[in-house]
Amino acid sequence: MDEIVQVSITDWHLFLEIISVDFDVYVPEKINQHIDYKIYNSNGQFIKYNRALPVTPLKFFFLPVKENVVINSLIHNKKLIIGVPACDLKGLELLDEIYQDEKFPDPKYKENRLNTILIGTDCHETRENCHCTTYGVEPYPVINADAILVHLDGNLLITVKTPKGEELIRQCGLKVPVGKPLPEMLELAEARRSATRAMLKQQNQYLPDYASTGDLIRDSGHEIWEKHAQTCVSCGACATICPTCTCFLLIDRPDFDKVRQLDACQYPGFEKIAAGGDPLNKKPVRFKNRYMCKYVWKPERFSATACTGCGRCIDSCIGNINKNKIFIEMMQSLKNS
Amino acid sequence: MQDAMNLYRPLKATVERVIIESPLIKSLVLIPEHEFSFKTGEFIEVTINGFGEAPFTPSSSPLEKKRLEVTVMKAGYITDKIHMLERGDVVGIRGPFGRGYPLELFYGKEVLILGGGCGFAPIRSLLLNLIAEKERFKKVILCYGAKTPEDCIYKPFVEELRKVDKFEVYRSVDKADETWNEKEGVVTVLLDDIRIHIPDSVAIVCGPPVMMKYGTYKLLEMGYPETEIYLSMEKNMSCGLGKCGHCMMGKYYVCKDGPVFTYDEIKDQPDIWE
Repeated sequence: MDEIVQVSITDWHLFLEIISVDFDVYVPEKINQHIDYKIYNSNGQFIKYNRALPVTPLKFFFLPVKENVVINSLIHNKKLIIGVPACDLKGLELLDEIYQDEKFPDPKYKENRLNTILIGTDCHETRENCHCTTYGVEPYPVINADAILVHLDGNLLITVKTPKGEELIRQCGLKVPVGKPLPEMLELAEARRSATRAMLKQQNQYLPDYASTGDLIRDSGHEIWEKHAQTCVSCGACATICPTCTCFLLIDRPDFDKVRQLDACQYPGFEKIAAGGDPLNKKPVRFKNRYMCKYVWKPERFSATACTGCGRCIDSCIGNINKNKIFIEMMQSLKNS
Repeated sequence: MQDAMNLYRPLKATVERVIIESPLIKSLVLIPEHEFSFKTGEFIEVTINGFGEAPFTPSSSPLEKKRLEVTVMKAGYITDKIHMLERGDVVGIRGPFGRGYPLELFYGKEVLILGGGCGFAPIRSLLLNLIAEKERFKKVILCYGAKTPEDCIYKPFVEELRKVDKFEVYRSVDKADETWNEKEGVVTVLLDDIRIHIPDSVAIVCGPPVMMKYGTYKLLEMGYPETEIYLSMEKNMSCGLGKCGHCMMGKYYVCKDGPVFTYDEIKDQPDIWE
């Protein structure tokens, strides 16, 4: 593995057109100032490589917002997803631990994972709320990518990471010219990685790391959660859009069908039991619960991290709640006390 | 067992009998379409077709494979629907899920069981299992409490239990009436009357949260180690698979890691009594 090839962008798009017969090919396109995955439509002009961050978190391909989990689908479309950022690929680690655990592997999730090829991409820009490196995630794919793609000067460098990726690039080589990368392209790719890393370090210089954040949250008093929960409207956007939030609601349908719909601990009644007990009945408690889950409880239980620093929860908050500002405030309070 | 390929697909089960246990509690005898095995203390999800499902620990013997019983208190949307079921109706069951009572750790010991209200359901299953293996235990003491005499469930079973060698039964009600000739007061008052050798004993608690809390504190006061108090926790267990997150209690998924925990395991987790 780790073979690196170079393909011209025109040839790559021709290959995508050819392979669209066998795969649903998703590419990152620019839509109204945002990047998001779109089905490849024989026209590469809107594709934007190396841009952070698709609006849609990768988890939606494996845990759709709503899905019938009882009916076994007869159609298993193969998916090729191109341009996945490192933060989302890292997020799959936790999803895999939960949904592919030894005792109860989830059949739908497993099927979705098996039928998907993931082409990761280096990020050559950062968004305001990106903070992957603070949590130990590089701004380029390290895990869970079948191949990694970088766009440089009209060419693509593609690094093969798994047998699935190897087969895809072999297929590519049968259809269009695939060459060895020029040394200066490799150097340029490495330089861009360093530059992105430096940008992220600069913009998050005051943010505590993942483990320290867990300690801050665990030791925090109630007041800070009361204060910041005031503008929380319990909409659950932060959880829905999070690449590592995986909670769901099972909805019953006739004929003993069940539909799995993504759920959020921020909704009132999430933990309510029939007899009336509801540990999360107060908004500040629910608000804190999500951070306790991500930074304290999940790390105690799983090897994967439960926040990969994508910043979508901050982008999406209608109440303008910025968790990173809360954590910096907590750290400063601790220093001042 | 349910569909091994799809953990969300319920197995159909027919209601064979409905037993009225108290004004708010009914038991259903269910006949699954295939044999169904569980260990005592594990739970199942009962699906009301098209409406929803709720978790219950079977109250019947785990040695019985063709039938199982669930005891249900009318407390909400799904339990209201369950109370409307009649003989011949079909429900779905998924499971069994979770970690039940570790019976092998109780072998050779005195077993103290503290139960309250509808929390008698898992305990009945446990008692049936203990009866079947009674030579393995020194003695079994059941302390059960309910609000009033008419809220006491499993009355015929209790009378049978009193006749079993090595088994002692003590009951209390919060508010007695002229029919009641046992103890009056909260269930923990019964613990003052029992004779048990704590170093050689385990305690099991199951009931409403407030009873679990004060029952546990009383057992700790009596000298039970935290590792020898077994609690059957009631949370919003929905998927049963340790995935949906509704039953999280700190780092634990109660549906998968529990519902039976030692107090030692969960004492530092948040909101255990809520």
